[in-house]
Amino acid sequence: MSISAPDSARAGGAAAPLLEVSRLSAFYGEVSALHDVSLEIFPGEVVSVIGANGAGKTTLLKSIVGLMNQGRAAHIRGEIEFRGRRLDRMSTEEIVDAGVTMVPEGRRLFTSLSVEDNLLAGAHLPRARAGIRDRLEQVYGLFPRLAERREQRAAQMSGGEQQMVAIGRALMSDPSLILFDELSLGLAPAVVDDIYRRVQQIIDRGVTCVVIEQDMKRALAVAARVYVMLEGRVVLHGAPAELTEARVTAAYFGTEIGQHGS
Amino acid sequence: MTGEDLYWTFIDIANGLLSGAMLGGYYAILSIGLAITFGVMRLVNLAHGDWLVVGAYGAVIILQILPISPFLNLIILVPIMFAIGYWVQRLLLNRVSAQSMEQRGMAPSFALMAPILVTFGLSIVLSHLLLALFDSNARNIQNALSFSSIRLSQDLTISTLRFIFFCIAIGILAAVHLFLRYTHTGRALRAASDDAGIAPLMGIRTAHVYAVASGLSIAIAGVAGVMVGMSRTFQPFDGTQFLLIAFGVVILGGLGSIVGSLVGGILLGVTQVLAGTYFGPSAQLVAGYMLILLVLAVRPQGLFSR
Repeated sequence: MSISAPDSARAGGAAAPLLEVSRLSAFYGEVSALHDVSLEIFPGEVVSVIGANGAGKTTLLKSIVGLMNQGRAAHIRGEIEFRGRRLDRMSTEEIVDAGVTMVPEGRRLFTSLSVEDNLLAGAHLPRARAGIRDRLEQVYGLFPRLAERREQRAAQMSGGEQQMVAIGRALMSDPSLILFDELSLGLAPAVVDDIYRRVQQIIDRGVTCVVIEQDMKRALAVAARVYVMLEGRVVLHGAPAELTEARVTAAYFGTEIGQHGS
Repeated sequence: MTGEDLYWTFIDIANGLLSGAMLGGYYAILSIGLAITFGVMRLVNLAHGDWLVVGAYGAVIILQILPISPFLNLIILVPIMFAIGYWVQRLLLNRVSAQSMEQRGMAPSFALMAPILVTFGLSIVLSHLLLALFDSNARNIQNALSFSSIRLSQDLTISTLRFIFFCIAIGILAAVHLFLRYTHTGRALRAASDDAGIAPLMGIRTAHVYAVASGLSIAIAGVAGVMVGMSRTFQPFDGTQFLLIAFGVVILGGLGSIVGSLVGGILLGVTQVLAGTYFGPSAQLVAGYMLILLVLAVRPQGLFSR
């Protein structure tokens, strides 16, 4: 089932990681949601993060893009390094400018804006504005449906189309690393198949991807490596081929904590 | 009823509609700023009327130094008012926004009140500052057009000043619309209005975007202040009555809708003028508030709300 990843990505060989998270802890007020999470993402690879609800997957992604820097309401401890730059010290705007973005859970589109305005809003930064027309055409090439409906308000689109807008909007910022949060949530299986085909095309263009996925089979199919989270900790990681489904399932439900792959 | 009676009835209504619509343009300019800050930031700006009076006094100062036409004076006043609005938002209002109060550990229901209370405080500070700098004497902005009117037919006339205000209102509305629709900053404003939590993921700096909205709002309030000063007298504590008009218009048009401001303004203007024509001047204000009550009862979200 596993797809072949670029050589540099395989098992984290000699290449330097694109993203390195070290001993990351995250807190909502006094409540901690992540404990000492460490992980590495290599250039061009696809990594899945799986885990039950409340395992800290979304918090992990939000921490990486700076959405957990909320003063007393939410904060993080630890280091996040992207191409040698410390993301944990940067604002979300600076992180996006550095080339990291996220497709958030529930799409979070600008619902009163048209499809095209949603996409153009994604290219707000001066760096992204440079090739804005070309990139818009690329997104329309990837999702022809959106080109047909460019004037329609985002709120009037179906769930699958909204997910396409959310992905397209993320691509508009010209990212090197995209974090997908719950790509398939609430979508019909056929729609999810379609979405994953497009994501595969994005991956093929060399964009590094992190995918949070409830559907374990899909997560194992798309990724070169998998991290399994439980109660705010990484409990298992490795290449899908090395991890039997039984082990992943056990880690997912917390019946076999502490065993690591690779 | 004779033919002449019918003619005069028609003239009365036509005059009422015309001057009411012109008054509506003026009301729209009074209100657009309030609609912008509410639409973009969900901020109820209780100091809106006081910014308008600040604009009127600002024009008085500029015209003392540089005796030009009150309209040309706008070229100097508007950028100054924009800058004031921008920095008041950045240095004061952004710090007390509901979002930043929650980040500092305040309960959400209290956090919502914080920015409203601060604009109330700002209203008190501004009006007392004006009283200290000037005095409580009524002032106005001298201009050649105060008593001039345009004659459309033998019995149909409109005030030249009101006609110019109406045209300026249309111009401002069109400019604001084009800005919101076609510029990167305008799009960012609409995006932040829809979902401020996720806008930073687009690289949108909400602190800056909010400050632009506030600057725009107060710059237009400045224009409105000059129009107030040209058509009537004003005093330091007049802000509240303009705030009330703006509230009425914004409630009629739909909270935060820019086009709604014009329609709401015209509805209010026409209602007031017709009520004045048929029931005497004292009926004007009552009729306006009755209209607002009626719209609230039938369509509480306003006529143009999404």
